[in-house]
Amino acid sequence: MVIQMAPHSLRVLLATAKVNLTMTWRFFSWTGFALRFWIPLMTLGAAWVLYNHVYQGVTSSAFRNAVGASDYLSFITIGNAFYVFVFSAAFVVGRVMFWERAMGTIEATFITPMSRLAHMAGAMAAAAVNSTIDFVAVFLIALLFGFQASSFNTALFFASLLLTAFALFGIGLMTNAITLTFRDRTTTANTLSILFMAFSGIVCPVELMPVWAQAISKALPLTYGIRLMRASLLRPESYNSLYDLVALIMLGIIFVGIGMITLRLIERNMRKKALFSVF
Amino acid sequence: MFWRVVVAEMKKNVRQFFFSRATLVWAFVLPLGNGLYLYFLYFPFVTKSVELEFNASTYTLDLVGFTLIGQLLYSFFVMVMVVGAAFDREREQGTLEALLLSPANRMAILLGGALASAVWYMWMLIGVLFSWIGFFQVNIIINDFLALFTSVALSYLSLVALGMCLEALFIHSRRGVMYGTMLQEPIMFLSGLIFPLQAMPRGLLVFSYLIPLTFGLISVRLTLLGGASMFDVAVPLGILAFMTATLFILAMWLIGYAERQAKVKATLTQF
Repeated sequence: MVIQMAPHSLRVLLATAKVNLTMTWRFFSWTGFALRFWIPLMTLGAAWVLYNHVYQGVTSSAFRNAVGASDYLSFITIGNAFYVFVFSAAFVVGRVMFWERAMGTIEATFITPMSRLAHMAGAMAAAAVNSTIDFVAVFLIALLFGFQASSFNTALFFASLLLTAFALFGIGLMTNAITLTFRDRTTTANTLSILFMAFSGIVCPVELMPVWAQAISKALPLTYGIRLMRASLLRPESYNSLYDLVALIMLGIIFVGIGMITLRLIERNMRKKALFSVF
Repeated sequence: MFWRVVVAEMKKNVRQFFFSRATLVWAFVLPLGNGLYLYFLYFPFVTKSVELEFNASTYTLDLVGFTLIGQLLYSFFVMVMVVGAAFDREREQGTLEALLLSPANRMAILLGGALASAVWYMWMLIGVLFSWIGFFQVNIIINDFLALFTSVALSYLSLVALGMCLEALFIHSRRGVMYGTMLQEPIMFLSGLIFPLQAMPRGLLVFSYLIPLTFGLISVRLTLLGGASMFDVAVPLGILAFMTATLFILAMWLIGYAERQAKVKATLTQF
C-alpha cells in the first residue's frame, strides 16, 4: 500500500512545488523579496557597527573561549544565513493552508485524495529552493561586511543544511495548524522567527546565555544546525560534531512527528465542524 | 461627535486585533523575544552596561535597561506602523467607501486608529515590563520625574502623530501592510534602538534625525537610566515637540488630499 502510494505522493510533492515556485517567480515582488532579507541584513549591519565602532574590534574572552575563534562577523554571518530557512518554515510552510483558505481554494484542496503531507512537503521543497537563493545571497552580502570562511567541510555543511531543513519542516507543519486554527496571518510566524533569532545562538554563542535561555535553545533544532554549519566553515579548535548531529536528527524526527499529528488533527477538526472556509 | 468617532474607531480596531485570546499570548511573547535578541547581541562584548554619549557627556547605562527602553518604545512604534495600514484593511474588507461616506470627522478616524495602538501597546508594555523585570535587575536612576514624564509623553504623542500620517499616506497604496512592515527594520537600525547613536556611521545620521523614535529613545533612556534632568534633554524634547506638531498638521493635510484624490480618480476600492 505504502509502495503504491509513493509515486502518487511524489507527484503531489512535485506538483505543489511547481505551483509554488511558479507563483513566487511569475508574480515576483521586490518588496516581498526584500522583506526576507531585512532581519539578516539589519543584524549583520548592527553587528558590524557594534564590532567596529562601539567595541573597536575586541570581543570578550568568554566569547573567544566559547567559539574557539575570535572572528565575530563570520560567526554572526552563518547564523544569519540560516535564518532564511526559519523564515521559510514560519512564513511559507506555516501559512500554506491559511492562504489556501484566503484564496478560497482550501475546500478544493481537501476534496482531492492527495496526501496532505506530500502537499506540505511540496510547499517546503519550493520554499527550500527559494531559501537557498536567499542563503547564498546573505553570504555574498556578508562578504562586504568581512565574512571569511577558514575551511569547508562539505559533508558537515550539507548535513547541517538538510537536517535543519527537515526539522524546520516539522515546525512549519505545527505553525500551519496554529495559523489555520487561530486565523492568524503574521503574529505566530513573527513570534516563532524572533524566538529562533534570540535563542538559537544566531547573535551570540549559546554558552554565554543565561541558564534558562540555554535550556530553551536546547529544544531548538537551529541551535545544533548553526553549530554544525559554523564547524564546517570556521573550523573551531575543539569540536565534536556527533552530539549535535544526533540531537538534530532526534529533534527533526520529533518535530516532524508532532507536525504530522497536528496536520491530521486539524483536518479532522475542520471536517467535523465544517470550518474550512469559515472566517 | 468627534470623540464618539475616536472611541468607536478605537473599539473597532482593538476588537479586530484581539479577535482571539491567543493574540494575548503572542502579544506577550513577541516583544520578549525581540528584547532578548537585542540583549544577546551585546553578549560577545559586554554583559553589564553600555555607554551613551550625548551633549558632550557620557552616560553609563544598564544594558538590560538600555535594551528594555528600546524595546518598549519600539513595540509602540510597531503598533503605530500596523495602525498605519488601517485603511488598507478597510479596503480589503470592502468597508472603506462606507467609512468615508459617513459624516465622521476624518481626523477622528485617524486618531481613533492611532490611539487603538495605545491599547494594544498596554499589553506589550505589561508583557515586556513584567517579563524583563522578573528576570533581570534593571538599574534605574531617576533624578527628574518631570523630565521622564515629558520624555515618555512626547515620545508617545510624536509616534501617534506619525501613525496618523502613515495611515493617511498608505490609503494611496494597496500595499499598506507591506510598507508598514518594510519600514520596521530600517527604522530599528537607524533610530539607535540597537546601539548608541554615537556609533552610527555619519552618512546615516541624517536619516536617524528624521525619525521621532530616535529622540524618544535618547530622552527616555537618559531620564530613566542616566538620571538626566529636563535641562539635559531639552534639545531632544524640543525636537520631539516640533515633530509632533508638524506630523499632526501633516496628517490633517494628507487625509484631505487622499480623500480628494480618491474622489477625483474613483480609485478608492480598486485593486
